[in-house]
Amino acid sequence: MERRKFLGFGLGALAVMAMPRTLMATNYREKLPDVWKIKNDEASKGKSLDGTKKAIKAIFGTDKVEEGKIKLKAPDIAENGAVVPVSFKTEKATRIALFQSADPEALVAIFDVPEIGIPDYSVRIKMKQTGTVTVVAEVDGKLYSASKVVKVTIGGCGG
Amino acid sequence: MRIKAKSKNGITTVKVMFKHPMLSYDEAKKKGKEANFITYVVANVEDKKVFEVSTSQFLSKNPYMKFAFKGDFKGKEIVISWVDLKGNKKTGKKKIK
Repeated sequence: MERRKFLGFGLGALAVMAMPRTLMATNYREKLPDVWKIKNDEASKGKSLDGTKKAIKAIFGTDKVEEGKIKLKAPDIAENGAVVPVSFKTEKATRIALFQSADPEALVAIFDVPEIGIPDYSVRIKMKQTGTVTVVAEVDGKLYSASKVVKVTIGGCGG
Repeated sequence: MRIKAKSKNGITTVKVMFKHPMLSYDEAKKKGKEANFITYVVANVEDKKVFEVSTSQFLSKNPYMKFAFKGDFKGKEIVISWVDLKGNKKTGKKKIK
């Protein structure tokens, strides 16, 4: 019964077909469907970090974070909010989550770091307006964070 | 899917670009289309998981990702799969240089 339930998930089926060892797949769309719906405060125009904090708490169970341990790279000014390069790395981590305060919802991605994975990632994200990019990493059961304000000037018209 | 994978000094680095419109709910509304975006990506080498991420509508169109993992896997194949909100799936493979 358990197995059938598991196979019911589209992704579970994919994992089973393609690669048997990924039975332990952690898809946070299925595991934590509500965290993706946590809203940023739109009235604050990207300034409020309440959405980010709420999402951190919903994912990790606490929003107590310490600064440090993470190197976060993001541009000071992004001329094109549709493609904002963001990189981050830390020596070790089991989970890393990426947030921003500029879009309707706060959460961008959750990385589960595999045993042989190196927590050194780059992605490109969309930002509707100027806002703060936040990375939270779980290291030995503790949470560390780094954040940076990215100024978005859409189409060079001065935002 | 475009994949570049390289092993050097015991570390394998992978750059990948997926072809996907990544239409957020806002963008979809404006265009009169339905939102759809990649929600999960996993990469394996020889049945070993090397990368895993759950993603949202806020990754850029044709998302690019770079990641790394321990070990020299020169000559082995990396297999990367994604699934989107509508349940579409795609898998790409590439030999690690």
